Amino acid sequence: MLLAQILTNGLLLGGLYGLMALGMALIWGVLNIVNLAHGALIMLGGYAVYFMFTAAGIDPFAALPVAMLVMFAFGYALQRFLLNLIVRSAPLNTLLITFGLDVVLTYLAQLAFSADFRAINPSYAGANVTVLGITIPLARLAAFAVALVLAAALWLLLERTRLGRAIRATAQNLVAARLYGVDPRQLYAVTFGIGAALAGAAGGLYGVVSQLTPYVGTNLTVKSFVIAIMGGLENPFGILAGGLVIGVAEALAALYLGPTFTDAISFGLLVVILVARPVRSLKGA
Amino acid sequence: MKQAIAGVSVVAAIALSAAAAPAQTKTITLGASVQITGAMANPGHYYRDAYQLAVDQINAKGGIAVGDQRYQFALKVLDNQSDVNLGVRQYVQLITSDKVDFLLGPFNSNDALDDSSVAEKYEIPFVQGGGASSQIFARGYKYVFGTLPPADDYFGSTIEMLGKLEPKPKTVALLSADDSFDVSVATGTRKLLAKPGLTTVFDEQYAEHNSDFTTLLSLLKSKAPDVLLWGGHEPEALNFIRQAKSLDFSPKDLASFTVGVPTADFRKALGKDADYTFGMTVWLPSATLKDDWFGDAEAFAKQFQEKYGYPPDYHVASAVADVETYAKAIAKAGSLDRQKVRAAIAAIDFDCLYARVRYAENGQIDLPQTAIQIQNGELVPVYTDHFLNKPQYPVPPWNARH
Repeated sequence: MLLAQILTNGLLLGGLYGLMALGMALIWGVLNIVNLAHGALIMLGGYAVYFMFTAAGIDPFAALPVAMLVMFAFGYALQRFLLNLIVRSAPLNTLLITFGLDVVLTYLAQLAFSADFRAINPSYAGANVTVLGITIPLARLAAFAVALVLAAALWLLLERTRLGRAIRATAQNLVAARLYGVDPRQLYAVTFGIGAALAGAAGGLYGVVSQLTPYVGTNLTVKSFVIAIMGGLENPFGILAGGLVIGVAEALAALYLGPTFTDAISFGLLVVILVARPVRSLKGA
Repeated sequence: MKQAIAGVSVVAAIALSAAAAPAQTKTITLGASVQITGAMANPGHYYRDAYQLAVDQINAKGGIAVGDQRYQFALKVLDNQSDVNLGVRQYVQLITSDKVDFLLGPFNSNDALDDSSVAEKYEIPFVQGGGASSQIFARGYKYVFGTLPPADDYFGSTIEMLGKLEPKPKTVALLSADDSFDVSVATGTRKLLAKPGLTTVFDEQYAEHNSDFTTLLSLLKSKAPDVLLWGGHEPEALNFIRQAKSLDFSPKDLASFTVGVPTADFRKALGKDADYTFGMTVWLPSATLKDDWFGDAEAFAKQFQEKYGYPPDYHVASAVADVETYAKAIAKAGSLDRQKVRAAIAAIDFDCLYARVRYAENGQIDLPQTAIQIQNGELVPVYTDHFLNKPQYPVPPWNARH
């Protein structure tokens, strides 16, 4: 029973991890930008939901789409007016500029929001149901469902829409895509916007199950990075699966090896996977 | 010729400024590297704010008399960005290039542990109010003083209280982080728990900055302890409590947390979920704590709240006591000589808004912890060596609250 409970905890956490990584993997796969500011975007999404909830009383789950729109616009502008300038230069430049963005966004967030610890705490944040002796936190279950829905939506967008085809075509062959009339500047901005919107959704959910400070981003970037590599950049469900693997692995590590080993396990898994399947995991990059 | 005139005027200027000097007030610079940004920025700013207010207040009241000369305090605070290694480098910078006279500390035992080694190496007094770990004071250092009482004893009064509660708790779970402060808390708590009457059914350590406690909570729930003693810092405490609610875990009788509970921020972030939580503090803003510069602790708390917009907790009071330690010790030493001031600090004994300040042989203050509880959103002192107020006990399970 304890094992079943801990596996459930791991799966629910893993779903949220997967959602965090979705946006990063999309941007990485299409734009070839390892966005080190991804965690900062998650953090900003969290604050957007936090303020809609505390200042306007909007339910955090109802606020998610608004936060996603805001983050889409922000991400679109970032790519259009800043990152497009360097997107085709050496990878080191994109790393540097996104690292810089991370620092700037984080410190601006401290100036704007202070370093106080905040939690998005609707009345049902602690609610749970017990099924077959397993306690399931409702907020985490809802977060998991949102992650599934967004992964499915991203998959549909990429596979079934004209925009999705253009995004995939650009990722596969930029020259051919241009010949078919894709405007990469526009397309990159839209893709980055979608990635930022996904980060925004993850941030809102993270604020409900955990707590926010301007500094939560760094750890989330690292976690998203690990999951994006594991999941393989191409398929949203692959990313989600990567998140689940990490979530369950961390939960089991905490149970069998001790709670101080959770990070060692997720990074250990990363190393194992990089050694075992380097070709596939880097193909999309 | 022009050069000669310029030379003469420079000499004249120097002579003038030298002549004017005795009329000017001289300054004593206190230096600190504090977490102003980064993950620890929230508690870090308690220290920056406290140092600033203490320095301003002491200066406004005429500064410090050293012999027949009056001195004012100046404050040099650097931002260590919540990075222990950067903090160490900044203390070296404060000593070697900024040439500060004396050192104040950062928040947190991990930082104080490393930063204090710099002070000891350069033989500069380091009075810090942010590190409680016994590790800091176990190295035989001569220049390091601390105004937080030993971490080993944070749960002392709470465990004593457990023996006097009805129904009497029998089983205890201990969960703590792996940083210097919490390792010290856990080590000391294990000794305190070794007395008869209480059985430890769970004793685990988690990684500092851990954000997910669900596995630990499920394990805890399976052990069904009467009491949970929890060591860690505020963000982890917030995560733990919220996740405990979502997994419907509460110990049968009570849960107590080392850090976070006394702060206003904690109550604000948790709202009603903060209720019933036990914690501890060495300081409450009482008018019985008299102070030479602020009047008393109550007046100080009011002044602090007005200036910074949040109520001070024990970290703030401890930091003010550090500055006041220097004010008292320098005046007593009648000199800025570091050896003499160090000797004066070691021998000091004075009452202030924080407590009666005197340092043990190892440099650390010793103060009793007051067990506190959040009752209906208010911080209520519950127990020192006797009950101060009636605790809400046993704590109801989550589904029976509100």
